[in-house]
Amino acid sequence: MEGFTTAAYIVAAVLFILSLGGLSGQESAKRAVWYGIFGMALAVFATLIGPGSGFWLLSLILIAGGGAIGVVVAKRVQMTEMPQLVAAMHSLVGLAAVFVGFNAHFELGRVLAMDESARQALEGFAAVLAHKTPVEVNILKVELFLGVFIGAITFTGSVVAFGKLAGSVDGKPKQLPGGHMLNAAAAALSLVCLIWYFNTGGFFPLFLMTLAALFIGYHLIMGIGGADMPVVVSMLNSYSGWAAAAIGFSLGNDLLIVVGALVGSSGAILSYIMCKAMNRQFVSVILGGFGGSGEPAAEVTGEQVAIDADGVAAALEDADSVVIIPGYGLAVAQAQQSVAELTRRLRAKGKEVRFAIHPVAGRLPGHMNVLLAEAKVPYDIVLEMDEINEDFPETDVSIVIGSNDIVNPAAQDDPNSPIAGMPVLECWKSKVVFVSKRGQGTGYSGIENPLFYKENTRMFFGDAKKSLDDLLSRID
Amino acid sequence: MTPDSAVQLQKLGYECVIESGAGLLAGFSDALYAEAGVEVVGSAEELFATSDIIAKVRPPEDAEIELLTPEKTLISFFYPASNEALMEAAKSKGASVIAMDMVPRISRAQKMDALSSMANIAGYRAVIEAGNNFGRFFTGQVTAAGKVPPAKVLVVGAGVAGLAAIGTSTSLGAITYAFDVRPEVAEQIESMGAEFVYLEFDEEQTDGAATGGYAAPSSPEFRDAQLAKFRELAPEMDIVITTALIPNRDAPVLWTKDMVELMKPGSVIVDLAAERGGNCELTVKDEKIVSENGVTIVGYTDFPSRMAAQSSTLYATNIRHMMTDLTPEKDGAVNHDMEDDVIRGATITHEGEITFPPPPPKIQAIAAQKPAEKPKELTREEKLAIEKAEFRAQTKSQVTLLAVGGLLLLLVGAYAPASFMQHFIVFVLAVFVGFQVIWGVAHSLHTPLMAVTNAISSIIILGALMQIGSGSWLVILLAALSIFMAGINIFGGFLVTRRMLAMFQKS
Repeated sequence: MEGFTTAAYIVAAVLFILSLGGLSGQESAKRAVWYGIFGMALAVFATLIGPGSGFWLLSLILIAGGGAIGVVVAKRVQMTEMPQLVAAMHSLVGLAAVFVGFNAHFELGRVLAMDESARQALEGFAAVLAHKTPVEVNILKVELFLGVFIGAITFTGSVVAFGKLAGSVDGKPKQLPGGHMLNAAAAALSLVCLIWYFNTGGFFPLFLMTLAALFIGYHLIMGIGGADMPVVVSMLNSYSGWAAAAIGFSLGNDLLIVVGALVGSSGAILSYIMCKAMNRQFVSVILGGFGGSGEPAAEVTGEQVAIDADGVAAALEDADSVVIIPGYGLAVAQAQQSVAELTRRLRAKGKEVRFAIHPVAGRLPGHMNVLLAEAKVPYDIVLEMDEINEDFPETDVSIVIGSNDIVNPAAQDDPNSPIAGMPVLECWKSKVVFVSKRGQGTGYSGIENPLFYKENTRMFFGDAKKSLDDLLSRID
Repeated sequence: MTPDSAVQLQKLGYECVIESGAGLLAGFSDALYAEAGVEVVGSAEELFATSDIIAKVRPPEDAEIELLTPEKTLISFFYPASNEALMEAAKSKGASVIAMDMVPRISRAQKMDALSSMANIAGYRAVIEAGNNFGRFFTGQVTAAGKVPPAKVLVVGAGVAGLAAIGTSTSLGAITYAFDVRPEVAEQIESMGAEFVYLEFDEEQTDGAATGGYAAPSSPEFRDAQLAKFRELAPEMDIVITTALIPNRDAPVLWTKDMVELMKPGSVIVDLAAERGGNCELTVKDEKIVSENGVTIVGYTDFPSRMAAQSSTLYATNIRHMMTDLTPEKDGAVNHDMEDDVIRGATITHEGEITFPPPPPKIQAIAAQKPAEKPKELTREEKLAIEKAEFRAQTKSQVTLLAVGGLLLLLVGAYAPASFMQHFIVFVLAVFVGFQVIWGVAHSLHTPLMAVTNAISSIIILGALMQIGSGSWLVILLAALSIFMAGINIFGGFLVTRRMLAMFQKS
C-alpha cells in the first residue's frame, strides 16, 4: 500500500507541474486546470487509502462540506472581487498550516512519552514519528516551528489584505506607534521562542511564537497601502506555499514539499514581477510607504481641461486607432461591460481598438485581464505594456479609465518623483488622451500626475461606468 | 483705413484724417468716412501737415518723404532692402518709418502681417484669374450633354498665397496638386485638400524654421530633380499657379519654356512671382500673353488691387493692429517701444538712424523641427561583442549561484541526517522546477495562476488527513478543521480558475 501511495504522489506532482506550466497560454490553460484537479483528487485518494489515515468517512464528509461552501463562493464571486477572494483563500491555507503544525507537536509529545514497546505498536503518523532518531526529532521541531510561523503570518496577513481589498479596512498604510520596531521585536521574540522550544519541546514557546507571528502578519500588512496590494497578495501566495513545504518536511511527505515549493516559487516570481513593474525594491514595498528621495517633486503647472461626452464621442468618430488603458477605477466602477460594449461598437466601425495593460494595474497580478475577459473582450487585443508602448505615437486616441500612476509621465521626467524610474504606459505620446476620472484628486498614491495637465489631455470627469454609458448613447 | 477700422482707431484715442477719394475704388465714399467721424481733407500735402502718423500702402514717393518731420511716423510697405535711397532720405528727415513688409513672422505679429493678408488675396485671385482665362469647368461633371473632366491644377510653392490658391481651387472642384521645397508643409497642403507632389530626393532638406518660415535656395541637383518632376506633370496640367519666392532674391525659374510647350492648348499659367521676374520663363510682368501653342500666361502683379474692397479691409485691420501695439496705453500717444520684437523688426528708421536690418527676433518664428532621433545603428561586430559580454556575465552569475548553492547543499549534507537530505533534495528540485515553469506563464493569466496555486496549496490537507487518525481529541479536532478549510479552498480555487479561464476568448 505504501508503494502505491508513493507512486500516486509522483503522478500527482507531475500533474501539478503540468498544471502550472500549462498557464503559458490561454488555450492550454483550460486543459491545465484539469491536470490540477486530477492531481489533487489522486493525492487525496492515495492518502485516504494509504497508511496512517483513519476516520476516512469523517474526512470525506468534511471535504464535501468544505467543498460545497467553496463551490457556492466560487460561483457567486464577482470578477471585480477576485483579489479579496484570493486573499481570503490564502488565509485558510495559513490557518490550516498552523493547525497541522500544532498537531505534529502534540503527536510528537505523545510519542516521545511512550516506552519502546508501545512505540512499536503505533500506526500511521505516530509510527513515522516513533522511528525518528533524536537528531531527526530536533530537525522536526525546527521544521514544524517554521511551518507554524509562516502559516500564522499568512493567516493574519491575508485577513488584513482581504479587509483592505474588500474595503472593510481602511486602505491607507497604518502602523502602531513604534512602526517596524514592533515587527522586529516580534520577530526577535519568535527567534527566542525557537531556541526555547528547541531545548525544552514545551507547547508554551510554540504558542507564544504563534501569537507573535500573528501580530507580525497583521501589523506588516496594515502598514502597506492599497496600491501595493498586488505585491502583498502574491507575497502571501508565496508564503502559503512555503508554509506547506515546511509542514511537508515535518511530516516527511514529499508531495507536500513539492507542491509547497512550486507555489512558493510561483508567488515569489509574481512578487518580483510586480516590484519590477513599479521599479521598487521588494523590501521597500513590504516595509510600506514610498521611500521618497527627500527633495520635493517638481510642481505641476497648468490647467486640467475638461471635456464632455459629446467631445469624446466626436474624437472617437474621427480616430482610426484607439488604445484603452484600464486601471483599478474600472474595477471599482464595475465598468468592464461598458468598456467592452464601446470596444465592440468601435471595432464594428473598422477602428483599431486595443487595450494596454500595465503589470500592476488593479489590485492583483493580471486583474485587468480577467475583468476584460469577463466582459468578453477578446484577449488578442489586450496587450502588455512592452508590446504596446512603442505604438502610442501612432495612436489617435488613448482613453485612460481609472488609472493614475501607471500613466504618470513624472516617472520618466522628474527624478524627484516618488515613482521615478517606474516603467509607465506612454499614452501622452498619442494625439489625444482622454482621462476618465471621478474627480480632480491625486488618487491612491497621492502623487500629482502631470499627464492631466498636458496640452493633448482632456479630462472626462465622472464615475467611469456612468461616463462610458453616457458615451455609448452617443456612438452607434 | 476703412470706416470700421477708423472707429477702432478712435477708441485708441486717435483722431482720424483721410485724403478725399482715397477709399473710392474700394467702395468707401468720403461720406461713409465722415459718418464714422473721420475728417476728410483735400490733398496729400494737407494730410501730411495735419497728422502725426501717416499710413499708406505703397512705398512713399520722394515728394512725400520731403513732407516728413522728426515727430512724424510713416507706416507703409517699404521694401527697405531694395529701396535704400528712399530709406536714407527718410532717415535724414528724422522720421520714424515702419515697414509693413518687415513685420516679423511670429505668432503674436500675425494679426498685422500685411504680406500674408495680401498673399492670401493674391492666391485667391490667381485662381479666379486662371478660371477667367480657362475655357472649361473646374469641376468634373457628368451631364446629359456629355462628360466633363475635372480641371487639374498645380500650385507651386505652398506659402500663404499658394495655400490660398489650393483652397480656392479645391473648393471650385478642381483636382489640385501642390509642390513645395519644404517637406514639412506637406501636411498643410494635404489639410487644404490638395495632393502633395513628392520628390524622390534624399538630400538633407532645409528646415523652414531656420529661415523664419520662408523657403531657402536649393542646390542645383535638387533643382534638376524638381524640374524633371514638373516636366513629367506639365502635359497633364490645365492650370499652373506658381508662387515660389525666396526672400530678397529674384524668383527662381521653375516653369521653363519647354514645359509650357508640353502643355495643352488652352491651359493657363498664373505667375504670382511676376514682380520678381517670374517663376515661368515666358512671363511678362504686368501682362497677359498667349504662347505659341496657345497657353495663356498671366503675369499681373496687382492682384490685391484687383480686389480693392477685400484688400483694403484686411490692410486696414493690419494697420489698426499695428496701431494697437504702438499704443499700449490706449491714450492716443505713440509709444515706439524698440524692445518689442514686432515693432523693432518692422521699424527701419527711428530717431534719425537706420535700424534696418533688425536683429533676429527673440522668439523663433516656428519651433525648430526636432531632428528625428535615430537609435545608433550598431555594427554587426558591436552587436556580437555585446551579446558575447552579456552571455559571459550570465554564465558568470549562473556559475557563481550554482557554486554557492552547491556548497551550501554540501554543508547541510555534512551535518544533517540522510532522511532529511532526501526531502531536502526533493525540495530544492521542486523550487528549481517551479522557477523554470512559472517564468513561462503569460502575464494576462497571473490571476488564474494565483487562484490555481491557491487551490493546490491546499495540498496541506494531506497532512491533516494523515493526522486525523492518530492521537487525542484535540488533534482530531484541529485536523478536522484543517480538512474542512482545505476543502473550501480546493473546490473554490479550481472552480474559480475554471470560471476565469472560460472567459478568455479570442476575437
